Amino acid sequence: MIPMAAEASRVVRGVRVEHVCGDPTLSEEGDRAVTRRIVRTALRALQTDVTGPTIFEPSEPQAREPVLIA
Amino acid sequence: MADTVRVVHYLNQFFGGIGGEEHANVAFQATEGAVGPARALQQALGDQGIVVATFICGDNYFVEETDQVTPAVKEALKKFAPDFVVAGPCFDAGRYGLASAQMCVLAEEAGIPAVTCMYPENPGYTTFRRNLVCVPSGTQPTEMQSVLSKMASLGLKLARGEKLGPAAREGYLPTGIRLPVLREKPAWKRAIEMMEARVAEEPSLSEVLVQQYETVPTPPPIEDLTKITLGLVTSGGLVPRGNPDRQVSGHSEKENRYSIEGVRELSTDDWESVHGGFSTRFINTRNPSYVLPLPVLRDLQDQGELGDIYPYFFSTVGNGTPVTNAKRMGRDIALEFKEAGVQAALLVAT
Repeated sequence: MIPMAAEASRVVRGVRVEHVCGDPTLSEEGDRAVTRRIVRTALRALQTDVTGPTIFEPSEPQAREPVLIA
Repeated sequence: MADTVRVVHYLNQFFGGIGGEEHANVAFQATEGAVGPARALQQALGDQGIVVATFICGDNYFVEETDQVTPAVKEALKKFAPDFVVAGPCFDAGRYGLASAQMCVLAEEAGIPAVTCMYPENPGYTTFRRNLVCVPSGTQPTEMQSVLSKMASLGLKLARGEKLGPAAREGYLPTGIRLPVLREKPAWKRAIEMMEARVAEEPSLSEVLVQQYETVPTPPPIEDLTKITLGLVTSGGLVPRGNPDRQVSGHSEKENRYSIEGVRELSTDDWESVHGGFSTRFINTRNPSYVLPLPVLRDLQDQGELGDIYPYFFSTVGNGTPVTNAKRMGRDIALEFKEAGVQAALLVAT
């Protein structure tokens, strides 16, 4: 993943390139709920101590282990 | 060797003749024979090889639907049984580069050598360089024929079971892997010759070329979000409708700065994306906040989960952005944030 290779320390997975922070296939409420979950994950990531590039999945409560890019 | 070499060519939806960004979600497909630039590859191969199939996949589909793509690719490789795979050339198309690189990795896993080609800053190369035989290219598809010839000749070598020599000699990009070799002169002789050349100000080439990839130290976490100011940045090309500052759709050289003081919602009347690297229809017709989730951030602010939001956001277009430009923009933005007491930033990247 590009951001990991570029050494971004906290990376939150978005939905798709065309709509990173939401999902237009859902209703307006569903879309907004997805955005809220992603943004909340980002805020959680800011408060999480990391040792290397780390992915935060909006669907998972815990951060994944940092990936070593060789 | 009497047998003609069998070749498969991997292309994205654009080069495969299906369409542009709006077709970036097209599923992986394998067609018999040569389609589009695969015909130019056939020309480059002459009678030494035959393009038995053209694999085409949407750039978004390949990187987003790995679970679907991987088995489909494996099956197609089995079906067409190529002696080598050609992926690209991708020039500076980032997602295409990533897809092609992964295509090469899948081919190698199936025991089939692969050759790709892209601009050295393409994330496909920078991420996967250790696994790739990658011919360098510029950013313009005008060099299509010449790079296809290079790819064809490297591929034929690999198909014949020949080991490739060093990158500089064979014409591919360094993999970062060093192999021991035996040299004619002992090291001390070579070192003295290098030193003599240096002193005489004559050219000399170091035997060890160190490729520096910047290590970015991880900033410590924020203790209390309610006490900080959060800065917002987007590379989704978000600009006021009409693009008053004339932000370009690719190879951007500058970031723009727009006020969001007191702004809660982002309407398609007031904002648009000028990003040329993907279809901006969702952002422009439905919701600009897909690349800048300001409304939700305001809600969270109201609910007391976040302190302040910096009253300006920074916007650029992350499409084939030269790394030097990106670094400069990042530095400028970080400087303003730091001086304004912003302690954390959210970057929405596309």
